[in-house]
Amino acid sequence: MSDRFSSGDRHVDAVLGGGLPANALNMIIGLPGSGKTILAEQFMFHNASAKRPGVYLSTVSEPLEKIVRYGQDLAFFDARAIGTSVFFDDLGQTLNDGGLDDVLTHLRALIIERQPGVIAIDSFKALSAYATNGQSFRHFLHELAGILTALPTTTFWVGEYGREEIATAPEFAVADAIISLSTRREAERAIRHLEILKLRGSGFMSGEHAYRIAHDGLHVFPRLAESVPLETYELRPERMSSGIPAIDQMLADGYWPGASTMVAGPSGSGKTLMGLHFIFNGAAAGERGIIATLQENTTQLDRIVTGFGWSLTSESVELMYRSPVDLYLDEWFYELLDALERTRARRVFIDSLGDLRRAAVDELRFREYLYSLLQRCANQQISVMMSQETPALFGITQVTDNGISHLSDNVILLQFVPRDAQIRRALTVLKTRASRHDPDVREFTITPEGIVLDEPHSNTTR
Amino acid sequence: MLGLSQPAIRSWEDRYGLIVAERSEGGRRLYTRKQLEQLQFVKERLGEGLSAADAHRLLAEQQAGTHPIVERPTSNPPSRLLVLLAYRDRRGAELNGFFLRTEGCEVEIALTAEDAEEKFASRDPALSVVELMISGGVGRELCERLKQLRGTPLLCISSLDLREEALAAGADAFLKKPLEPTQLVSTVNDLLDQGGLMRAVAGAA
Repeated sequence: MSDRFSSGDRHVDAVLGGGLPANALNMIIGLPGSGKTILAEQFMFHNASAKRPGVYLSTVSEPLEKIVRYGQDLAFFDARAIGTSVFFDDLGQTLNDGGLDDVLTHLRALIIERQPGVIAIDSFKALSAYATNGQSFRHFLHELAGILTALPTTTFWVGEYGREEIATAPEFAVADAIISLSTRREAERAIRHLEILKLRGSGFMSGEHAYRIAHDGLHVFPRLAESVPLETYELRPERMSSGIPAIDQMLADGYWPGASTMVAGPSGSGKTLMGLHFIFNGAAAGERGIIATLQENTTQLDRIVTGFGWSLTSESVELMYRSPVDLYLDEWFYELLDALERTRARRVFIDSLGDLRRAAVDELRFREYLYSLLQRCANQQISVMMSQETPALFGITQVTDNGISHLSDNVILLQFVPRDAQIRRALTVLKTRASRHDPDVREFTITPEGIVLDEPHSNTTR
Repeated sequence: MLGLSQPAIRSWEDRYGLIVAERSEGGRRLYTRKQLEQLQFVKERLGEGLSAADAHRLLAEQQAGTHPIVERPTSNPPSRLLVLLAYRDRRGAELNGFFLRTEGCEVEIALTAEDAEEKFASRDPALSVVELMISGGVGRELCERLKQLRGTPLLCISSLDLREEALAAGADAFLKKPLEPTQLVSTVNDLLDQGGLMRAVAGAA
């Protein structure tokens, strides 16, 4: 099947490997409130035309009246299309009066009259209750599938089925595609997931894809774990300035674009400042940057930034502040990817990984996402800096507990060192990929101009 | 309204400040029966060849007591007016029909657009209520056809916020569902009265 039936949303289509197969029989399943009706309506309004209209049929679960009343608040729900390209009808009365046989007669007449391109039956599950036995329901399904495939029509059977019914309910055997919408509790939150359980004749993105219900339909965030086609990108031979003289000084070969750098250290050691340096000095050199922070809100950050003579209103810098409370990892990553695409930024600073990690709940998912992000950025030569808080103030023994440091090209450790009855800040380049570096511990001072390395000290204490 | 264009009525409201409609929450103009009579008065003067300004001046004089206002002819309305309910769902039609009957109307129910057209032609209702979702949602089309057949008052109802579209399709009024029974009954009464007024005026002319 080459023709695809688009949802009108690129993310939903991406999960479906480009859209549903055209003229297929699709099932949308999930518990009440999971957004099944919205998804079916989304497909319908996007594809319906006066010539090949959509027909939405309610049965005996949700009254048609309510489907319509709540539906019209959705952005894609064009009430003026009703009566010309989208029709809403109720099968409930037909079912109650004449059972499944009358439903078949009704549908046959309807298909002849309207020649619909899309038909949705919601709830389909309710129909089985009208069958006298399993055999009569199978007979009905067979007849119905016959009617629905006689003409090029894409069909949605929407129902509050549980996953366990897929193996037992006969309608699933007939379906070409099964889209499951489910909710899982993670910590204190309910996370919605969309999963493709079956898609005949097509590849699709496996696994659970987070989604949210918004006024313009389902916002799906395709799982980022899919490995990015690694365009064997060339390491540009020319090195550039990281924007931080302190780091440039310690990287013998200089800093190369597209690298990811993790700055680890305890609270107050200068991680955020280092990130700001990286962004604003990049901006000064004509590279757009994004500050993706979960730490300081705009006002707080503005105060810090202004103190160092920079400005958040700079056209070359975009601030993406999100509160770490009630943050959805999938949504956050997509927002960042969109921002990167929109602004064509060359640099991004993520502050901090710990906040993201806590929002992720799921450790594996977090690593997959971060890996995917770093890979995408490397492909596009976008330099990434990430801050990572370490628990110990002195004598740091471990940088991260989640193996993220292995994913970064450079790891810089900031720490406090006691010397001469004072606490000094110090910087060490722990790791650089594809570069030589100077592994010394160098003390630094935060001046109004930013981070300035002190002269090497002969008796630096660790 | 009354065969006068909406923009004209609006500009008179601004210009002369005589017939000032109240606004609904949604910003729509609501006219009292008295104001409808005043508009009818203006319309008649326009029909006699007066300018809008002169018509309003006369109206102002009348209101000031210079001229006695023409009493509306209180012809007895036909004993039982027939209301056609063209609805998608039987239950809604029966329930609304019940309230209209208690108000003294006779009620005929049609559950498809086809049936509605047929009953409209054969039963000659004084007023029709069209649910926009009838027959899959072809209510607006039905309105257009009924209005073409005869100009009797047409009330559209729907859960969809399609007021403007319904009025454009020929409806004289629109009510959003779910309906308050009293709201339905009073709107039906108003439309019937207005229709009666129109008929009386047309008969007197």
